[in-house]
Order: sequence, then C-alpha cells, then structure tokens
Amino acid sequence: MKDIFTDFYNTILGFFRQTEKKEENAKDVACNRLRVVLMQDRTNLTPELLQRMRQELIELLSKYVEMDKDALELNFEQEGNQMALMLSIPVLRAKEESEIDEAEESVSEDENSEDVSDEEQSDEDSETEDHSDDDESEENSAEDIEIVEEEAEENDKAEK
Amino acid sequence: MPLCIEPIQSQSKEIKGETMSGRVIVITSGKGGVGKTTTNANIGTALARAGKKVVMIDTDLGLRNLDLLLGLENRIVYTIVDVVEERCKLKQALVKDKKNPNLCLLAAAQTRDKTAVTEEQLKNICEELKKDFDFILVDCPAGIEQGFQNAVAGASEAIVVTTPEMSAVRDADRIIGLLEAREEIKSYKLLLNRVRPNLIKSNDMMSVDDVVEILSADLIGIIPEDTGIITSTNKGEPIVNDDKSLAGKAYNNVARRIIGEDVPFLNLEEDNSMLGKVKRFFSGLMGKEK
Repeated sequence: MKDIFTDFYNTILGFFRQTEKKEENAKDVACNRLRVVLMQDRTNLTPELLQRMRQELIELLSKYVEMDKDALELNFEQEGNQMALMLSIPVLRAKEESEIDEAEESVSEDENSEDVSDEEQSDEDSETEDHSDDDESEENSAEDIEIVEEEAEENDKAEK
Repeated sequence: MPLCIEPIQSQSKEIKGETMSGRVIVITSGKGGVGKTTTNANIGTALARAGKKVVMIDTDLGLRNLDLLLGLENRIVYTIVDVVEERCKLKQALVKDKKNPNLCLLAAAQTRDKTAVTEEQLKNICEELKKDFDFILVDCPAGIEQGFQNAVAGASEAIVVTTPEMSAVRDADRIIGLLEAREEIKSYKLLLNRVRPNLIKSNDMMSVDDVVEILSADLIGIIPEDTGIITSTNKGEPIVNDDKSLAGKAYNNVARRIIGEDVPFLNLEEDNSMLGKVKRFFSGLMGKEK
C-alpha cells in the first residue's frame, strides 16, 4: 500500500520536474554567445593580431617546453570587472636545462640545431596526417597549464 | 527552484544626491525600441509625483516622441532648436504637464536633424535648467553617434536601459564603455526593461542576474513586460499614474531609488495562477524530502 503511494508521488514529481530538466536551454546559449561576442567587442584586438600574438608566444614558450601547438588555447575571459587573457598550453614535456641552453646558443649563433628542426618536422607531419584525432588524444594526455598573461581592468572598456 | 528575479541587494547602491537639486540624468540604451522614452516619461512623472521639480529634454531631433507619451504633442510651441537659435527664451520653450505642474518638457524639433544642436549648447541648457529644477532627464536618441554624444554632454549621471535580449545587452555594453570613457559621467545604473518572468522561469530568457553579471553594472530597476504600457502610450498617460499596474509600481520604485530611498526590487517571480500554487506546493514537498 505504502509503495503505491510513493510511486504515485514520484510520478507526479516527475511530471512537475520535467520542465526543469532541459539541458541546453535558450538562456544558456544566449549567455554563452553574448560572453564571447562581448569579449571581442571589448578588446580592440583583431583576429590577425591575436594570431600574431599566439605565434610569438609559441615561439617563446617552445624554448622551455615541448607542447601541443595546435591545442594551445588563447582566450579572453571575464572575472567580474576584470578581463583576463587566458593561455592554456597542453605541455608534452618540459625541456632539460641543457636543451634550453643549447637552443639559446644556437639562436645566438643564428643557426637552428638539427635536433629542434627534426622535431618540428615530425610534429608537423603527424599533425597534417590526422588533425582532429591527434589533437584530442594529445590534449588529454598533456598537462594543462593556465597562465594569466595579462589583466587589463576597466582600461579595456575605457579604450573604446 | 532557482529564483530568477531574486533581488540583488548588494547592487542597490543608490545614486546619492545630497543637495537634491539640479541632477542631470541621461537615459540611454544604444539599441532602439528598448523603452528609453517610456522610461523617461515614467521616471519623470514619478519624480514629479514625489514632489520634485522635473524637466525632461527630448534630444531625439527629427524623431521626437516624448511629447506623445506625455500627451503634450498639441501644446508644443517652441522646441530646443528654437532656444538654441534664440527665437525664444528657454523658459518659454518649457511645456508644463497637464496634471503635474512640477513636470516640464523641452521638446525636440521634428523638422531638424541631429546637427541642429551642439554638445556645448546642450551643456549650457542643462546648466541653466539646473538652477530651477531638481532633476533634468535627458532622453537620448538611439545609436552612438553625434545624437548620443550631445545628449550625454550635459549629464553627470546615466541610466542605461536594456532588455534581457542579446542585441540589447550587447548594445548596452557598448554604451557603458562609452559612458566610462566620459569623465563628466560620475555614475551609471542599469535598468532592465520588458522582463518576462515566465520566460525566465522556463529558462528561455536571460535572467536579471545573468544580465547584471554579464554587464557587471549596478541595477536601478527591473520593469516587467506589461501590456498596459501600450494602452498608456496610446492615451498619452504614463503608466506610473496607474496605481494598479505592476510596471507602474516598478517605475515608481526606480524614481524612489533615484531620490535615495532604499526600495527592494519587486518580486516578479510569484505565480499566482492555480497551477502556480500547485507547483509551489509540490516543489515545497520536494525541497523537504531532499
């Protein structure tokens, strides 16, 4: 007897709860789309400039770590009143001190060491072969480092 | 059940006015059709009803409408352009409201464009009016061009009107950026218009909290969507004069907050239909069980 009652109760509850269980609702879509669009509006950085910044960051950081260059993410995020530039780098391996020194030396001599260029070539090969799959697997295995690159407070808004 | 229209108490820092005289507030939005002029007419009327001396300036040259919302369209003799071009004195151009002698309108010219009045001229008019009025409300045209720049020129406070729609929020963000860049604007508040509690409840519309968070601005009012606005516009009678209207109440509250009172936000969440009551009863049970 008691079971019938709880069954009945749960059925009714289920009915009233249905409306709350929508997963991707219009409101969340709107919020997310707006956040992205406002990030772009608020900063004066054009996509080309962002791409250039990304490229230079990769060059600099490659000196110290081996990373998944394609999975690197560079985004603006808002935290309250502050805008932050978030850089997420899937790290494959940190480089040895000797490697870094070597790279530095070779750069100062204006020559690239054979090791580095080999590595880069093989990287590029695998990337062109199978793009998306490669990205995902590497991303999962790789450590994610998040660095807050720049915090521009309301300056961004004022600049506009 | 999450309360979408939960009042944001911490945001209710009011525009403080110690002297209570000559505050110039520009009402702006960026996007058109979100209710700037309706807001202007209602806040102005509510402030006048509260005993303040109020003048409203319509700066939407060529597209004036504030006179219609106030039912004053037949009384306009001189406009702001006549004042600027010295065809009349400033005081001659002020049209008194039918009901409330505390309320005046300085109408826009319908036959001229935005270039007829400059920033400097509008600033001077505001300075002049500050001497005789407690509040000068400037109705700003849509857009971010010269018309906006003119309207903002004489103001030291701003109310940014938006609705919980993407395009309106985006434009409001742009306006906020422009207001922050102007030194003369000391503070700005957000007024969220045309809020539809039912759509928010079903997660089909952004909630008040969402918009406030995205724009990270202080809130001065939440106005529910109200069909009464249409009839009140048709009659030329601001809805604040209707004591039964929820939107009217909300606008009255905005006026009180501008004056400096601490008024809680209306609870628009309450669903008083029979189904609403049943739902509340069951969600109450659910809450206890879990």
